This record gives sequence, structure tokens and C-alpha cells, in this order.
Amino acid sequence: MKSTGALIFGFNEYGMEIAKNIQNKYKDVTLFNLDKSDFMIIQDVDYTLRMFDLSDDWDDIEEEFDMDKSIIFCAIRDEAKNIFLTISLRSYFKDATIISLANNQENVNKLKMAGATKVIPIVETTADIITNMLKKPIATEILHKILYEDSSLKIAQIKITNIEYFKDKFPAEIDWSNKYGVLVLSIVHKDMSKEFIYSSISKHTYLVEGDILVVVGYDADLQEFKKKIGGC
Amino acid sequence: MKKFNRYLVDFAYFIKTSESYQRKRRFFYNILENDDYKYKKYFDVVMIILIFSSVSILIYEVKKDVHEYLDIFNSYVISIIFLIEYLIRLWITSSVTKVIIHQDEYSDLLDREFSLWYVVKRVLTDKLEYILSVKAIIDLLAIMPFFHELRLLRIFILFRVFKIFRYAKSFQTFSSVLINKKFEFFTLAMFASIVVFVSSVLIYVMEANDPKSNIDSLYEAFYWSIVTISTVGYGDVVAVSYEGRFVAMVVILSGIAVMAFTTSLFVSAFTEKLEEIKENKTILDVSKTKNICIICGYENIAKEVAKKLIHAKFDVLVLDNDKQRVENAKKDSLMVLEYNPGSIDSYKKLNIDLSTRVKAILCLREDDVENVYTALTVRSINKDVHIMSLLINKINEKKLLHSGINEILYDKQFIGLIAQEFVGRPVAFEAINELGSESSAIKMKEITITERIASNVCTVKELENLNYRVLLLGIHKKKSKRFYFNPIPDTLLESGDIILVMGNFVFIKEFAKSLTHKGKI
Repeated sequence: MKSTGALIFGFNEYGMEIAKNIQNKYKDVTLFNLDKSDFMIIQDVDYTLRMFDLSDDWDDIEEEFDMDKSIIFCAIRDEAKNIFLTISLRSYFKDATIISLANNQENVNKLKMAGATKVIPIVETTADIITNMLKKPIATEILHKILYEDSSLKIAQIKITNIEYFKDKFPAEIDWSNKYGVLVLSIVHKDMSKEFIYSSISKHTYLVEGDILVVVGYDADLQEFKKKIGGC
Repeated sequence: MKKFNRYLVDFAYFIKTSESYQRKRRFFYNILENDDYKYKKYFDVVMIILIFSSVSILIYEVKKDVHEYLDIFNSYVISIIFLIEYLIRLWITSSVTKVIIHQDEYSDLLDREFSLWYVVKRVLTDKLEYILSVKAIIDLLAIMPFFHELRLLRIFILFRVFKIFRYAKSFQTFSSVLINKKFEFFTLAMFASIVVFVSSVLIYVMEANDPKSNIDSLYEAFYWSIVTISTVGYGDVVAVSYEGRFVAMVVILSGIAVMAFTTSLFVSAFTEKLEEIKENKTILDVSKTKNICIICGYENIAKEVAKKLIHAKFDVLVLDNDKQRVENAKKDSLMVLEYNPGSIDSYKKLNIDLSTRVKAILCLREDDVENVYTALTVRSINKDVHIMSLLINKINEKKLLHSGINEILYDKQFIGLIAQEFVGRPVAFEAINELGSESSAIKMKEITITERIASNVCTVKELENLNYRVLLLGIHKKKSKRFYFNPIPDTLLESGDIILVMGNFVFIKEFAKSLTHKGKI
């Protein structure tokens, strides 16, 4: 039986950090590298280490992993090789989720053209974080806590399955904060279009089943809220 | 005599400890001499206007009669203003009380008699030194109204123009550049003087007795020589004899050499000083900023950070000792100094208080060793300034913390966390990311509760944020330094608290404006 896993290409500090942060979500985390000598240095890791070649046709991976449910990270430091790897994987796995790292904006565009589902620009992301820390220190700290740290304040995406609860109500009119103790930031519609909770559209459009609410709140309130609206 | 000396010393101590006297003296010093004083530029502008109006009146009255009032204004009002300025400068140039107190302490220490003669001598020396300086002489000549009364000497009112040197910084820069080459200019002047002198005498000897020549006196010979060596050559006075023309040829050739040498001296003086002039200008600009971010090391991440900080309306200064990286920063139109961020001297040269004038020092070299070195340097001279640093290799995290860095930025960890969010809550993550992106109209903003806002709005309920379609995420309380998410409507708002809101930036702007104006009719 094929397994669901995370395939991380690039045995470097980026690859290791990604592996460390996602290991709870995937049963199998496999790190791929071009050079075998790197593996000799690291003896003690919880991940499967494998070699690969850019000329591989990825048959063995397809046999082993359920690629529709697995996730691929392309984190090779050599930008040209990373782009080639992305395009090579995309040509083989049409529907796989491929996340690639890029050093600059120029390569972000190339990786998107190569078929990456999402590109994380390393330099820009770091610069954004530094700038925000100076510009909006409190907002940045709170967002960081909500998003990345193990605090009681959390962000959640909750899919509406029980529309009866919000029937004939515009989202902007609902007093989320007092009624449920949570704050709804935005609504993601079925077509993946996003609306801020107090945008003009939210003032004139009813919620429908399948819409996803992006909610911030304390863990207990979020669980309670999820139960009430029949979310998942 | 002893009694007089005692009174004098007592009076000196009284003056020294008089807050009102010292405040006035400080004020006049700042307005006249301190370039960093914010009101000095206004004083300078007023003085320049007075100078130009005085010269304009002089030019006007060459052909026409000026109104009596204008004449009085030019001869006396301006002169009196300049006289007052002159006297104040004379006052602040050296401290008499300081000399008296110094002499008193000295005589006390060595158990000697207080020497009034020494005090008088020292004060006179100090004051005379100022009075005989070029700038003070120009000032003195410029205030003499009698020049105006004596028609022949009224042109001396042009001395007032020289006063501009005091007020226009560019003139000072110009003279400082030329002073640097004074030896070369002196050599050139000596050479030109010898050529002019020898040629004047030669041409006079050769042409004075020639009836066809119009060089009849040594003065005319000198005039001819100057006109020829400067390569102007009016042609009104010319050499006519064979010998005289030979001298003319030598003078013309020397003139070309003198001109070429002069030009090259000017060019090289400015080229050599250009970097220094630019550096001084940057330091001056930095001293005028209030919340500057100092980026130490200009590499990939630093480049992007600088761009974003400039976009966020921060003042940014780049310090780097690598020529290529400094050039890159210059190309990106940034304030940059080719200083070593790891040297205490670099920060001393900046001459600013790091804890009050600097928002943060960002150690953004992609090298942990350099960042630790820079952080330790900064920390050794200032304990309070906020330092942020990149961490390149996780192994060095403790070393960076130990060096006094407030925030460590490990880009690999950021990427790992982003990957985790993307895997766990992709929709929420994307939504939050999009809300925070520069292209999005929805922004998250911190609004500080000022005293004025606090007097208008007492509780969260009174914010009425929903009327502006603004979402209140929480309050950061100043007193407890804690963030309160989704606060209850009765939560009190106090001055210094920060509210965190989210919404369309236009609505946020309106909302923020409404807070200051609430309660007003």
C-alpha cells in the first residue's frame, strides 16, 4: 500500500528545518540529496535519507507514495537545479503539491512557471519579517504567536457544514466576538476567493455551505465554535 | 586690591552658577555657531537677506537716489544689527569667568596670590585672537557706516558680501577644499609672481624708451604682464620690439602652464575631498533623523530589508567597510557610509545618541562571526539600543544571544514554520498572508492611545470600530505589557495602550482620525 509522506529534496539547513516542523503531520518524512557524502556527516536523524539524481524518472517514488496526498518540498540551494527539479517533478506528477524555495523574485517567477504550487521566497520572507518587527512590533508578535507558536491563541480554518445556523444572515452582521468569543478574519468561498469579514461583499452576501471561515480565538472557544456550526 | 580680586572671583562664580546667564549664553552660541541647532538656519537666512538687501541698495544708488529711509536702513539699521552680532560673537568666543575661576583655583592650589594681570592678559589674548581673525575683520569692516558717508569708500560696503562666508556652508566647504592644497597653490603663486615680476621689469626695460610702445611706466608693464600671463590678452597694451615680443612669448607659454596647473589643482582638490564632503553631508543628514535604522552589512537580505524599510518611511543608514557593497548601496540611493560596523570609531563619528535616536541596529551580514563582532561593539558603547541580527548557522545561536542581541532572526526557522503552517492550515495561512501583503487593501495596524484619545474614548465599547468596518483584534496594555485578545466592551483604555486593528486601510485611517476627534462638536 502506498504511503502518504513528505518528500524533501535538499539535505541542508532549510530541508532539515522543514522536516523538523512537519514531521508531526506526516508518517513518513524522506530527505533526498544529490550528494551521498552529506549523509555521512549526519548519523542521527529521524528521517529517511535517500539519494536522487536529476535524471531520475521518479517511478520508484510513484510506486512508494500516494502522490495526491503527499507533499513535495524542493529546497536545493543551487537555484538552477531547484528549478530543474521542480519542472521534472511537475511533468511527472500533475496533481502533486510542490512547494519550492527561491532566493529572489526572479526565481519565484521561474519556479511558478516550472509548476510549483507555492514558492517561498527566502530573502523576501526574512526581510518582510524584519521590517514588520520594526514597523508593527505588537502585531508581528501576536501574529507570530497565533501562527507559529504553541500558544492558547490560535488561528483555524473552519468549513461550514451546517448552514442552518447562519441562514438569512450576512456575515458582517453577526456579532462573532460576543456570541462565540472568536474573531472571524475572512471568508474563503468555494472558488477559493477570499473576503475580509467587513468587506462590502460580506455585507451583502449570505454564507453558504462549504464556505471556510478563517477564525482566531482561544483553543476552547474555537472547539466550541466548530461544534456549533458543524465545522470540520 | 585684594578686596577687588575677591569681588571679581565671587562675581565670576556667581556668573558661572547663574542658570539664566548660562542659558542666554548657550542660546547665542547655538544660534551663531552650532550647525546642529535647528533655529540657526533661520538666523543665517535672515543675515543673508540683510546682506543682499544692503548690496542691492548700494547698486541701486550708483545711478539713482535712494529714499532717505532706505539710506538710513542701509547705513544704520543693518550696521547696528551687524554690530550687535559682532559684539555677541566677541562675547561668546571665550569665557572671561572661566579664566578668572581657573586662575583662582590655580592660585589656591599653589597657595599663591591671585594674579589679576594674568587674567587681563589671558582675556585680552583670547579676545584679540578673535578680533584679528579674518572673519572678525570682515565683520568689523562690514559694520562701519562711515564707508557709506564717504563716497569713495562706499564700495567697501561690499565687505558685507564676504560675511556670506559665515552663513553659507558651501563656501566653507569650498575654502576647506582649497586649504588642503595650500602648499601647491603657494608654489603656483610663487612661480606666477616671479614670472610676472621678471617679465614686468624686462618689458619695461625693453619697451619704455620705444616711442611706438604704449608701455611707459612700470605699472603699465605690470598690467601687461598680468593680462598676458592670465591668457586674457586684451590687446590694449602690446609689446612692439623684437625683444619685448620674445618676453611676451615666454610669458604666454608660462601663462598656459599656470592656467593648466591651476585647473588641475582645483580638480584634484575637489576629487580628493569629494568623498569626505559626501561623508560629512551623510553624517549631517543622519544627525537630523530621529528614528533611524542602521543596517550593518549590505548583502542580499539587507538589500531587501533596506528597500522595505524605506517603503515603510523609515530612515535607513547603511554601514559597511566593503567598497563593492557600499557602491551597491549607493546605487540603491541609500544613505551609506564606508565605515566598519565593528569599530567603535564608526559610531563615534556619527555623533548621535544610539539609545534615543536609533530605532534599531540590524546586523545583517550573512556571517555569524561578523554579526557577533558588530553586536558586541555596539553593546560595548550602548546598553539600551535595540539590536537585531541574522543567524546563519544554528550552532552559533547562543553566541549571538550572549553578545547582547535582542532579536535573532533565523531565516531557515522561518521557512520551516511557514512550511508547517502551509501543511497544517493552508487556507488560513494563505488568507492571513494575503491580508498582510503589500498589494492587499486590508491591513493590520497598531494605533497608540494618546492622552487625547484617552480623554475622548474611555472603554473599548466607545471605540465604535464596527461602524468603520474595522475589526479590533486586541489591546496591548502598557502597564501590564500584556496583549488582551478580543477584549470585553468594558475594558478601559489608557494612554500608552496600543490597539491592534484590521480592516481596509482607508477605513482604518478614518477610524484613527475619529478617535482623536471624538467628543468634539
